[in-house]
Amino acid sequence: MAISLASLTAQADDAKVRLLDSSGNTKQLPVETVREIFFMRLSSWPDGSPIRVFVLPDDHPLHIRFAKEILGVYPFQLRSAWDRLVFSGTGVSPTLVESVEEMRSRVESTPGAIGYTDKQ
Amino acid sequence: MRSINLKPRFGKAASMIFCSALVLLSPMKASAKEFFDGNVKVYGFASQGATYTDHHQVFGTSRDVSLDFREMGLITSVKLLPNLLISAQGLYRDTGASDTQGTRLDFAQADYSVPLFDSSLVLGARGGRVKIPFGLYNDTRDVVWTRPSVLLPQSIYFDTLALRQAMIAADGGMLYGRYTHGEHRFGWEFMAAEPQDSTGGATGFLTGIPHMPGLPKSEGSLGGRPMLLGRAFYEWMGGRGKLMFSIVDLDRDFSASPGLSAFYQNGNTKVTYPLFSAQYNAEKWSLTAEYGWISSDRSGYSTANTAFIQGLPTWKNNTSENFYVQGEYRFTPEFWAVLRYDVLHLNRDDRGGREMSRLSGGLAPAHRFYARDLTAGVRWSFARNFLLASDYHYVNGTAWLNESENPNLSSPEASSHFSMVTTMLSFRF
Repeated sequence: MAISLASLTAQADDAKVRLLDSSGNTKQLPVETVREIFFMRLSSWPDGSPIRVFVLPDDHPLHIRFAKEILGVYPFQLRSAWDRLVFSGTGVSPTLVESVEEMRSRVESTPGAIGYTDKQ
Repeated sequence: MRSINLKPRFGKAASMIFCSALVLLSPMKASAKEFFDGNVKVYGFASQGATYTDHHQVFGTSRDVSLDFREMGLITSVKLLPNLLISAQGLYRDTGASDTQGTRLDFAQADYSVPLFDSSLVLGARGGRVKIPFGLYNDTRDVVWTRPSVLLPQSIYFDTLALRQAMIAADGGMLYGRYTHGEHRFGWEFMAAEPQDSTGGATGFLTGIPHMPGLPKSEGSLGGRPMLLGRAFYEWMGGRGKLMFSIVDLDRDFSASPGLSAFYQNGNTKVTYPLFSAQYNAEKWSLTAEYGWISSDRSGYSTANTAFIQGLPTWKNNTSENFYVQGEYRFTPEFWAVLRYDVLHLNRDDRGGREMSRLSGGLAPAHRFYARDLTAGVRWSFARNFLLASDYHYVNGTAWLNESENPNLSSPEASSHFSMVTTMLSFRF
């Protein structure tokens, strides 16, 4: 039992975090654009349609790894930037989802959506 | 025996009801209320502080533990178009004699931005009652979640001097731009707006006429040229390193209230306030410093009754010195500690205040002209929507204390130093 739990954990740690979007167009985006999107500083795609950003809670392991490995920032930097936008009225925070499953279903069903998941 | 100050007042009852409504509105899991596919978002916060001081009073009768420290806001943001955001905040705030405005429309602004060159350049305009972008913390200073400590460094973000309303938002507009290139991000903001300098202690601060026993307050109206403000920043690695320069320029004409013309004639005040800011954010720690000065230049105002003030060379032309150095350490993502040294010299050519005291003919002791605040604080986000923060301050000098709450600051017996413990509990959604 202990062995199988340990191997499951190791498996989860090895899973790669990757971007997930409703149109499949984000692979071409440079990392600085992805960072601007998740910092909530860009609100529209190049065709003018709205960007919908989904994130997991600040303390979710996948969120922490997404922030560090994909964006190259620490989760507290994202939270601080969102709070500054929200409380100065100059922007909004991303939509919070509670699980990877909810992330997948919300991103797939929302036009213009972007989020992240673990590679399987 | 000390007693806790719990005077029932309508404002407090209203705020408690508001606070309860916020809690009911918001299930624990939610970070914001979303409507219409996320195009309408509602945010809120409610914070209650408690302040204790051994000498002097801060935010009410703090020598008896004051609960006059309350900040509550409700923000609605509406995206009418993907790049058009309208947002407004209703705020209730009470910090004893330092903020007596109660409930107010804090900001109400429309923001339109255009991304260019594959979104590496964004240009935008914002108008309405807009938040004043100044330094690292001014834009969001009412929310303890965005502050490193319960009380911001008072050398730069004056809360006790009743200047908060005048500093936080103004009626006008701004243009802004930002440019991203790899790990580098540059941005600028330029603002022209009518400041809310008829609120709180702003008029007294700008005319430079202290509120003294036996003299009427310098009441009147300020007008003239709108406030001009610029802010530019550079960010490296998504904010790991930050450099910022902000500057405010005021040129205001004072018209004394008719009944006061025997005391204060009309006058003009010019103020320039530049501020340099720097921050480095590592995974576990952050280092922050801001340095600025307030340069003021006054003419007019003179009558025989106030000649003793106008006779002071430092009253006409004066330059202060304002700075702090701050370190934060994150033991866990939920538990942070902060250590800060914060310094205000009202005249940078007279850091000890002795010359200023001498020029006042001994009416004001030297410690009225400086304040050096050593702060140690902790903040603990014990649940997703709750934060408990507490600071201990040892302050040498009384420069940023409120004279309404401390009418005896200039007496020879007034202590030159004080200790303060201030704690705040906050809920947000």
